[in-house]
Amino acid sequence: MKNKRFNLLLIAVVTIVSIWSLIPTWQDYTFTKQLNSFGTSRDSLSYAMNHRDDIENARKKSLKLGLDLKGGMHLVMEVDQVDLFEQKAWNKDAKFFSIMDTVRADAAASDARVIDLLASEFKKANIPLSRYFYDIRNTDQEIVGKLQKESEDALNRAKEIIRNRIDQYGVAEPVITTQGSRKIIIELPGVSDENRVRNLLKGTAKLEFRLLREQEVLLRTLDRINTYLAQNGTAMQAQPAKADSSAVQAPAAGTASPATPAAPVANVAGQSAKPLYDLVGINQYGIPVTSSQSKDFVSALFHRADIQALLPPDTELVISAKPDDYGNKTQKFYTIYLVRKTPELTGGVITEAKATFGAQGAQPEVLMSMNSEGTSKWARITGANIGKRVAIVLDGVVYSAPVVQSKIPNGNSVINGIESIEEAKDLEIVLKAGALPAPVRITEERTVGPSLGADYIRAGMLSLLWSFVAVSGFMLVYYKKAGIAANIALVLNILIVLSVLAGFNASLSLPGIAGIVLTIGMAVDANVLIYERVREELAEGKSIAGAVTQGYDRAFSSILDSHVTTLVAAFLLYSYGIGPIQGFAVTLMIGTSASLFTAIVVTREIFNALLSKSLLSDKSFG
Amino acid sequence: MRIFHKTSFDFIGHRKIAYGISIVLLLSGFISLAVKGLNYGIDFRGGSEVVIRFQKDVDVSTVRGALDAAGVSGSLKQYGMDRSFLLSTVFKGDTGGLKTLLDNALTSRIPGNTHEVVRIDAVGPSIAADLKWSAVKALVASLLAILIYVGFRFEIKFASAGVVAIFHDILSVLGLFSILGGLFEFMPLELDQSIIAAFLTIAGYSITDTVVVYDRIRESIRGQKPSDYERIFNESMNQTLSRTVITSGTVLLSVLVLFIFAGPAIRGFAFAVFMGILVGTYSSIFVAAPLVYDWLRLSKSAVRLRGGQKS
Repeated sequence: MKNKRFNLLLIAVVTIVSIWSLIPTWQDYTFTKQLNSFGTSRDSLSYAMNHRDDIENARKKSLKLGLDLKGGMHLVMEVDQVDLFEQKAWNKDAKFFSIMDTVRADAAASDARVIDLLASEFKKANIPLSRYFYDIRNTDQEIVGKLQKESEDALNRAKEIIRNRIDQYGVAEPVITTQGSRKIIIELPGVSDENRVRNLLKGTAKLEFRLLREQEVLLRTLDRINTYLAQNGTAMQAQPAKADSSAVQAPAAGTASPATPAAPVANVAGQSAKPLYDLVGINQYGIPVTSSQSKDFVSALFHRADIQALLPPDTELVISAKPDDYGNKTQKFYTIYLVRKTPELTGGVITEAKATFGAQGAQPEVLMSMNSEGTSKWARITGANIGKRVAIVLDGVVYSAPVVQSKIPNGNSVINGIESIEEAKDLEIVLKAGALPAPVRITEERTVGPSLGADYIRAGMLSLLWSFVAVSGFMLVYYKKAGIAANIALVLNILIVLSVLAGFNASLSLPGIAGIVLTIGMAVDANVLIYERVREELAEGKSIAGAVTQGYDRAFSSILDSHVTTLVAAFLLYSYGIGPIQGFAVTLMIGTSASLFTAIVVTREIFNALLSKSLLSDKSFG
Repeated sequence: MRIFHKTSFDFIGHRKIAYGISIVLLLSGFISLAVKGLNYGIDFRGGSEVVIRFQKDVDVSTVRGALDAAGVSGSLKQYGMDRSFLLSTVFKGDTGGLKTLLDNALTSRIPGNTHEVVRIDAVGPSIAADLKWSAVKALVASLLAILIYVGFRFEIKFASAGVVAIFHDILSVLGLFSILGGLFEFMPLELDQSIIAAFLTIAGYSITDTVVVYDRIRESIRGQKPSDYERIFNESMNQTLSRTVITSGTVLLSVLVLFIFAGPAIRGFAFAVFMGILVGTYSSIFVAAPLVYDWLRLSKSAVRLRGGQKS
């Protein structure tokens, strides 16, 4: 009976390991209960201090709850590879941009690698990639390889920068992974201020110091755009429709006072004599401004190729990050700036950033210092442009445009025009973490608030409990004594699932709980098959010992087949599914595998033990 | 306690009726799919969904009015839980703006009844396309894998009939989703990722009952004449009837518990698995085994079976 001893040992080891690995979870639960039971926060704090090591240890090893149960954010962000490749190209002309637009459209519609789409589009246009990328002597294949490498680097760099930002913001146990060639998956448990996190993550953090052009040039340019738009009335018509198509459109008409630029909605007629000045006003200081309703529309207009052609060479129209009230208490306006296209200095030279309050003590600002290269450049730039204005541009919008008072020799600079200290802190974080190599977009978001998470836990626990009661109750009624053995196996099965999750640091989600509930129903199946077979053998007049042996042997093949097929389906679900569904697949896989062990080995040993003590009779199988 | 003790139903003799029922079930599903189509959840269609829960009771039209007045487009309906509503709208990269707008609109227009945005799901069009594609891949791959495994364990006729039965089960449930979609307030029956999980669960489990019947047929058929096949099939199915029903029954019990207790997020999934297992149990007796019988009869060949006991 060597084999029997081995089985008993195995059962003992599995049981002990399962229970042992769930002890921290239980400890964590009692600690949390204990902490919540104190009347005052001081008592609970002192208790937490006294048991700090134990609590932390228990928490670290306990069964983790998934984002949906704990509350938190699941984000998928996509690196804009088209933009990245555009940055890498040189000699860019109209043909290039038109091809890239096609690639962008293709990439949005399909899951193929952007680099392949790009290569095939250029091939279709019969243009070698070397005309725009890298060296003229490179073959297409070499360039595709290099660009691919570039995009992989970009994805990894983006991931690191995002991790940096999240770490500095302070989220407990964030999980950041990449998927495929352009996706970054971010899991943030227990985040309370989702909006801030979104803003923190999506910005490229591309900081630029750009010289401002003179105010007269700006006004003349706007005149020119206005005349152009008036002559090409059709050019305006496409946009108001586009603005309307956005789902959440603030009601624009009626809020703007007559002296202010009207909203784009008012412009649907198109053929205005002064199309631009319907949207952009010149205020009492002679500064061009636009209202918050018109801002996005105006900004899109400034990015149009035909409008950019009207600008003085090497310049760009940009809009301020924040609106200014200009002494007008009722409405705030965004300022329009004309800046040099080529930045004087970029954020790469920033080594340190710090959010503080400004000299007056009320305005939050971010102090930055530069490395030695940046410091000397900055000194030269400020020295050469005293009296002129330098715009501080972050991700395409102007934060401030101070007048250079004197040469700045120490590499310091300041961003002001910030609304709150939180925003200043976030700017500090993104500046320290560095700029992303290419823009990233949020393409999927799933956020669960903590109160809903608590509901899910309650619902999940109720389901587990009732499923267990129903199934084990049935087994008991239907199979009597043998049902007890099956129920013992069932309890061990649930223990194994939970302990494997805890041991491998996987988290339990609501779909995961659903997987366990389903496992409860499926795990007893093996026992049902065995018991039915035993009943058949007994009916044929076999002895109880013989019937048990035959039952286990004969039912094994069906049990194996049915378990393997369920495992295969669960495994494929795990490989092709994402987040929440994977949680379900994992518990189903663990539960199904565990039931092979518990239903076959564990119950059999129970029967062997009962047989040896002659405690099993013909009646034991109901 | 015993159910279906020593039965002797003539399953094979009545198989034509069963085929008829299956064809009607499948056809009505197909017609509904063609005419009415499916409700896709945001996983596959892309878009944003927000669940808002209020502190006190509030009418759905009041909330809808408040959102309309604030210019929030999209459809609003009661969500499975108390005082909760689900707003579906188009996908925009940044859900922050949407949330702010909702908060402002509801706070100012429904005063004295605080609300909470308890869940936000937003899926962009490219992700939706990805998810659709992976769902198809997972389904195809699992059917193939099951076909290969069962073919390896039994015989290709058995395996093919088993996979036909799985198709039968999944398509029936899909048809039910189309027919019943949108009819129930408490369960919208939208096709999303969790339903794909349900389909794979059904695929993996549907074959369980089938394998039990096959196993018994394999055990009894060895060395018998093809003229005895009808008797053997019937006997095997009657002998395994109680275990087929009980194994499915325990799973149905758990899934029923899920349906009742696990909340609206799981309800569609639980419904799909419940129906799938119900149909799957029926199909393993009335579709899978009779198909093998008909195939054997028509091909007039004796079975060459692999595996089983070495008795």
